[in-house]
Amino acid sequence: MNNVKKASKNVVSQLPPQGMAVLDRLLNCASRHSSKILLVAVCCGIAVIGVLVVRDLQSTSEEVQRLFRESIGGMQRAGALQYDAQETRRAILYALTTADSNLQLVYADQTRAADHRVSNSIEDYARQANTQDEIVLAAQLRQDWTAYLAVRDEVLASILEGSIHDAVTRDLAGGVPAFERVRKDLDEVKRLYAEEAERSARNLERTSRSSARRLAGILSFTFLLLSAGVWAIQRSQMLGRMQFAKLQMEFVASVSHELRTPLAVIRSAADNLADGIVQTGEALRRYGLVLRHQSRRMTELVDQILTFASTEDGVEPLPLQSIAIDQIVRAVLSHTESAERESGFRIEVRVDQGLPRALGNLNGITQVLTNLIVNAIKYGGDDRLITLHASATENPREGLDEILIAVTDRGMGIDTAEIHHVFEPFYRSPRVKNAQIHGTGLGLSVARRIAESMGGRISVSSQIARGSTFTLHLKTATEAASQLSAIDAPPARLMST
Amino acid sequence: MMRGRRVRWAALAWGLLLLSPAPGVRSSLLWSDPLSGSEAVATEPLAIVVNRSNPVDDLSSLELRHVFLGSRSYWSNGRRITLVMREPGDQERIAVLRDICSMNEEQFKNHFLHGLYTGEILVSPKILSSPLGVRKFIFNVPGAIGYLRLGDVDDSVKVVRIDELLPNDKRYRLRVQISTDE
Repeated sequence: MNNVKKASKNVVSQLPPQGMAVLDRLLNCASRHSSKILLVAVCCGIAVIGVLVVRDLQSTSEEVQRLFRESIGGMQRAGALQYDAQETRRAILYALTTADSNLQLVYADQTRAADHRVSNSIEDYARQANTQDEIVLAAQLRQDWTAYLAVRDEVLASILEGSIHDAVTRDLAGGVPAFERVRKDLDEVKRLYAEEAERSARNLERTSRSSARRLAGILSFTFLLLSAGVWAIQRSQMLGRMQFAKLQMEFVASVSHELRTPLAVIRSAADNLADGIVQTGEALRRYGLVLRHQSRRMTELVDQILTFASTEDGVEPLPLQSIAIDQIVRAVLSHTESAERESGFRIEVRVDQGLPRALGNLNGITQVLTNLIVNAIKYGGDDRLITLHASATENPREGLDEILIAVTDRGMGIDTAEIHHVFEPFYRSPRVKNAQIHGTGLGLSVARRIAESMGGRISVSSQIARGSTFTLHLKTATEAASQLSAIDAPPARLMST
Repeated sequence: MMRGRRVRWAALAWGLLLLSPAPGVRSSLLWSDPLSGSEAVATEPLAIVVNRSNPVDDLSSLELRHVFLGSRSYWSNGRRITLVMREPGDQERIAVLRDICSMNEEQFKNHFLHGLYTGEILVSPKILSSPLGVRKFIFNVPGAIGYLRLGDVDDSVKVVRIDELLPNDKRYRLRVQISTDE
């Protein structure tokens, strides 16, 4: 016994320190519900991070494309502008080489088409000019180009008139200097584009570095989040296992206590009988009653443990029968007669009129209700009154009639925070433990498993200091038969008693 | 002196190259009247066009004759006049020679040959092969003057009134026969 207590203490001492109490409570809660919640939370976090990474990459890609458009595209535009300006002049020079007016007109068309493209490009450049230098340069280029075109028109007119000498004179005097000014302007445009490209390259490098930093940060955060998630899941599972181990230890301690007490009584009685201390018939009968009571108590305890062990990996569905409610009540009262008598409790039975037959297994139902009544005796109040009430109602979830057999005590009641735990194996409320009420924490768990194996369930309602009601819900035999027939289920389990 | 001699030789060579058998010419009328003629032929107005920058809007028949025969070499704004003609044999050219110059092709060529040789005419007419060429030439040369069928006129050139008449006026008499292949 001492060893068991020590082991229990060791488990408790391995629980985390105070600083982690809040986190552990949260993890404990998550572990109790499901560690899948944590997994989902981690996945959501990673998904959000993934979205952030994708957005960051998209943003970087758009920035690169913008830089390309602005710098490389600008250089290309400057090159095209320079080419078209040269083309304007080339066509004029070609026109000088022929006296054929028709051919001269072809060259005139070429020079005008080229100057149209140059003028459009200059207007585009002026529209896109951002810096003060670009704006000033665009205005200068427009002015110089217009001046050159004025000279060009005069030269072209002279060529077409056939005044080649005039054309050459005009071109040398005005055309060449004007075009030289345009050429310088275009060189300046290229220089500004080159500067812009250089700036863009620096910006791109900066953006790349920033993006890489952000990416590294995001990946680090992801790694940390993943690690934290894995840690949290493992810790929650560990806490769950520790909690379960603690409960098992408490269960072993409790069972040991429950076994040692009757064993001590039996051994003492046996010693007295063996030593000849008990000699009279009345004393022998009293000793016999004690031995029977204690041995029955031990048998019940062992049976409960064995039943729990057999249902640990799930309960095989019990063969179902159509059972009259009166039959159930009689069987339950017969099973609990001695307990009722020994505890001094009174069981008040109320069965509503005209109840249909229930679908279940008589042994199973009897065991469930016996467990509920034994619990009611254990935790019942000073009134020492237990109500067994059989009724029928419609199951709102399935739309079927169902039989309700409720066991009500007028005892200490169950705290709202604990009411969801009372069906967990080995769970014993701190209030119960403080009240020195012995038990294994298996009765309700076993009862619920048996109820579910019959297609039923157990519900509970309770008020502190007013008492608790545990209700066994069973399907009615008629409804169940029609349902089984509707789904073409094998009717072998439905047996009439 | 040397330049004048070169111009004369050039004019002479140009005249020899373009010299062709002279077709018949009706020299009695400056303007033909399609309504009064015995021949019922379809005609359309022939517009006299100049560069849009040219300040001249109106010319008299006599002024037009002087311009086309090279007797007048400069516009009022000082620009030298450049005469644009279509190729010999062209309907428009025939109409211009007949109705404006009152000459046939041979007389016209001889007139310019003589004028260039003597220095009375500064430049010979520019010969272009299509209405589009005429339009482009006049668009590019501020002092150019030429002629186009009314249907070939667009905004790139300016139509000049002749004797205060525009080609759309009923009394406008400079017309060209519509070719059967048009």
